[in-house]
Amino acid sequence: MKGKIRLCYRKMITVDSMGTWERLVFTDSFTEFKMQAQYYDQAGKYNTFAQLLQNAPNANQLHFLVSAAIVGYVKQLNGIVPDVTNNLGLLFLTFDQFRFEIVNSDLRNIEKHVVAINFYSDELNYLAQIDQYLLTSKANSTTENMGETLTDLFTISPYLSIYSIQQ
Amino acid sequence: MERKNFLRSLLIGAISTPVVIDACKKSSTTENAGTTTTATGGSSTSNCVVAPTETEGPFPTKVPASYVRSDITDGRTGHKLTTKIIIGNSSSNCSPLAGAIVDIWHCDADGNYSEYGGTGMQSTNYQSVHFLRGRQTTDTNGLVTFTTIFPGWYTGRATHIHVHVYNAAGKSLKVTQIAFPEGTGTAVAQVNGYSKGLSGYTYNKNDNVFSDDTSGIEIATVTGSVSAGFELKIQLSVPV
Repeated sequence: MKGKIRLCYRKMITVDSMGTWERLVFTDSFTEFKMQAQYYDQAGKYNTFAQLLQNAPNANQLHFLVSAAIVGYVKQLNGIVPDVTNNLGLLFLTFDQFRFEIVNSDLRNIEKHVVAINFYSDELNYLAQIDQYLLTSKANSTTENMGETLTDLFTISPYLSIYSIQQ
Repeated sequence: MERKNFLRSLLIGAISTPVVIDACKKSSTTENAGTTTTATGGSSTSNCVVAPTETEGPFPTKVPASYVRSDITDGRTGHKLTTKIIIGNSSSNCSPLAGAIVDIWHCDADGNYSEYGGTGMQSTNYQSVHFLRGRQTTDTNGLVTFTTIFPGWYTGRATHIHVHVYNAAGKSLKVTQIAFPEGTGTAVAQVNGYSKGLSGYTYNKNDNVFSDDTSGIEIATVTGSVSAGFELKIQLSVPV
């Protein structure tokens, strides 16, 4: 395999997520879900996101509509994918594409609320696999100089995957 | 040896019944453990990553939903429309309702909504994805003001703006739509459907939402011109 790849990191956020950023995403997305869900279920018949998806027409738009509550937090990341580090322990992935998902929710119980933010990385040059590590370089990097290319060495951890490949 | 025992414990977890049976047959255990070491070893070490070791920050701060803004244009082109909505309390002689949350949304000049691009599985850039959607809280006069563009139209519907009114706690009070006056000289006639004209346009009397509004209470007052921009005013009363 050679070519340009983009990675996807699916960051899960649940009631157990403890970071300040994660808590803000968690609580604000739940508040927005409660507001927006009322449009799709004006009779107030359903409580869970799954029930809304099954019974309320167009309720799948809630992923998009609730995402407005967390866009401000995504901007605060300044284009750096959180959590995913190279083998030096440094955040190294950049992104400008994301997709927000409501995984589960229940209007009656915030503890059932689970959301995910998919971060799609900018392009990387896939260079090699060394043992369990991938070696990549930034595709649009200006750091290449005198034949020397700066690289990142990292492992594919859970919730991280190769999203696309371009030969 | 510790590593081997650990790996063997993983095997027991994965397929407990055969392992228990095998454990009773002394002769077969060594061979099984040997084949398992390779397979399990690969996946367990790949889960081992270096913990983040960076200076903390920047620190997150609380931000409202991106809907909260008065200019909801987000770069969409069209004739400027200033939208002024007064929310009244229908349970109290329609007196101004302060502190109500008002969401509005409408389509762009081509008849497309922002959510059309956001419901699929594709990724979106995080800049200006929620175009032509906004949220304001009413002032002491019950007023909210949005700056936007005159909506386009699409097959089957008259020109309209969606409105959802909530109380301060986010409880839904009213879901409704604003209709536009029609006929010679009106804003609808002046804008003339932008590039596509008004051929095939659905007028209010044939619109499946507005056709029952015979007294016209859903129709806003719209003034102005293409060159100067338009201003829309409407009072909506909601039960509190």
